[in-house]
Amino acid sequence: MKHTVTLLFLVLFFAVPAGVLVLISLAPGWRFPDVWPAAFSFSGIAFFLQQKEQILSSLASSFVFSLLTVGVTFFMCLVPAAVFARNDFTGKAVLEGLLLTPALVPPMTFAMGLHYFFIKLSVADTLPGVVLILAIFSYPYMFRALVAGFQAMGEHYRICARNLGAGPFLILWQVELPLLMPAVVAGGSVVFLVAFSEYFLVFLMGGGRVASFTGMLMPLLASSNRSLAAVLTLIFLLLPVGLFFILDLSVMRSFRKKGMA
Amino acid sequence: MSWTNNRSGRLVSGLAPLLLPYLVLFCGGVMLTICQSFGVFTPLPHAGAAFDAYAKILTDPAFFTSFWFSLGVAMVSAFCAVAAGAFLAYRVWQLPAKLANAALIYKIPLILPHISVAFVVLVFWSPSGILASMAHSLGFIQTMQDFPNILYSGWGLGMVLAYTLKGTPFAMLLVLALLVRFDVRQIQTAAMLGASGVRIFFSIVLPRMAPAMHTSFIILFLYGFGAFDIPFVLGESRPGMLSIHVYNLYFKHDLARRPEAMAILTMMFFFAVIFIIAYSKIVQRLDNGVRKL
Repeated sequence: MKHTVTLLFLVLFFAVPAGVLVLISLAPGWRFPDVWPAAFSFSGIAFFLQQKEQILSSLASSFVFSLLTVGVTFFMCLVPAAVFARNDFTGKAVLEGLLLTPALVPPMTFAMGLHYFFIKLSVADTLPGVVLILAIFSYPYMFRALVAGFQAMGEHYRICARNLGAGPFLILWQVELPLLMPAVVAGGSVVFLVAFSEYFLVFLMGGGRVASFTGMLMPLLASSNRSLAAVLTLIFLLLPVGLFFILDLSVMRSFRKKGMA
Repeated sequence: MSWTNNRSGRLVSGLAPLLLPYLVLFCGGVMLTICQSFGVFTPLPHAGAAFDAYAKILTDPAFFTSFWFSLGVAMVSAFCAVAAGAFLAYRVWQLPAKLANAALIYKIPLILPHISVAFVVLVFWSPSGILASMAHSLGFIQTMQDFPNILYSGWGLGMVLAYTLKGTPFAMLLVLALLVRFDVRQIQTAAMLGASGVRIFFSIVLPRMAPAMHTSFIILFLYGFGAFDIPFVLGESRPGMLSIHVYNLYFKHDLARRPEAMAILTMMFFFAVIFIIAYSKIVQRLDNGVRKL
């Protein structure tokens, strides 16, 4: 009984909104005071198909800059995370706190200052500009995940590999990275989601030149065609879910093959 | 001595891939914001004195209204999200293994971008929305106008709803990560010794969840305080959130007012930093007085 209440609550607050979005996308004419749509039509989806080139290209653009952000944050954090997990030095706690601040303070506060600088360097309104600003805002998630990953791994594998004569790159590639994969996936998914769903930073640094899915969605939210907005929101939901599902499956399968999970 | 030099050299070079972008982009960005608030490096040469922008803002009552408003919206929504998130996380943790997978639906709002969550709030709570339709069919209201004006009441309730909906699963995620390592025997022992469910929750489970709750409160509060996306969809013109105020100054007014936007951002930045430090200090002090299980 108690568990049923818990699940009902979760369904009501977290799943019902998604269900309602499905209804809206199939019933553009759903208006007050109907509790259930009076008529269903595919006109919202037809509208989507009509504009699919623009929508898909903004989706692709969002996808590309989000993946690039994951890549950039990964390369930024990999070695520092190892150093952090394996060394104790004075001021470590303070430095860790400082390094996490970009995810905490309002991103506007540094992004708008940087905007001027990016314009001078002419990286504003370009893909690298967008990726850089998203990376500096989201790397703390990757960093924390990697530090935790290195800590969980311990040093024994590395020492063992070194004693067997492996060089640092071989150790990294053959021993540490495979073991670190779950942490990379965990940190990477958060960074991907943050980048993929951000509206303002992309709008500021992309200046409309770098298309984004959120930028595509924003004007539709207030428009009378709620159906199209609902369709796009559902894509927003399904795309990451699908991506994580595949990722989870493939990573876990490779782990099971090696007998590690 | 050369050993320590070597070691610190190795540390610095190892941390460099992170320290460099941090210093250049993050610290540099904040510095540029501060500089521009004093009229240095602004697109237009700044005519007045260095503190002009601050003088103008701090004498403007609208700034304080929007500061307190942002603070209130962020505080209430972060509190609701953390309270609901902690409670739900505890309940989800208690679910039998068979049902635990079904509980994963809590991640839906976590995946949705903020603007989509704002859209969901619009769909449900607007005067022509789903809740109004339900109230109508249940006979509580006759027309749309009878539905309480939740979204545009001047209290920022729409934003609170959206931030709470988005923040609750986030708090759940962090709290659940802690609960995974929680030993169920502590609860069983307390129950055997005669503690009630409420007593168990507040005396045993809550202290265990507290670190994750503090972390999520800091993150959610500061996000709500300074973010742009949700207020842009759900905000009311008056009083407005600080972020919208800055956006208007930055994009909609002439360039001469750039220092004012930057001055507000500078104050927001220092407010956030002071908040993080003060909050962690208070938590630390509270923690020292608590007996650890």
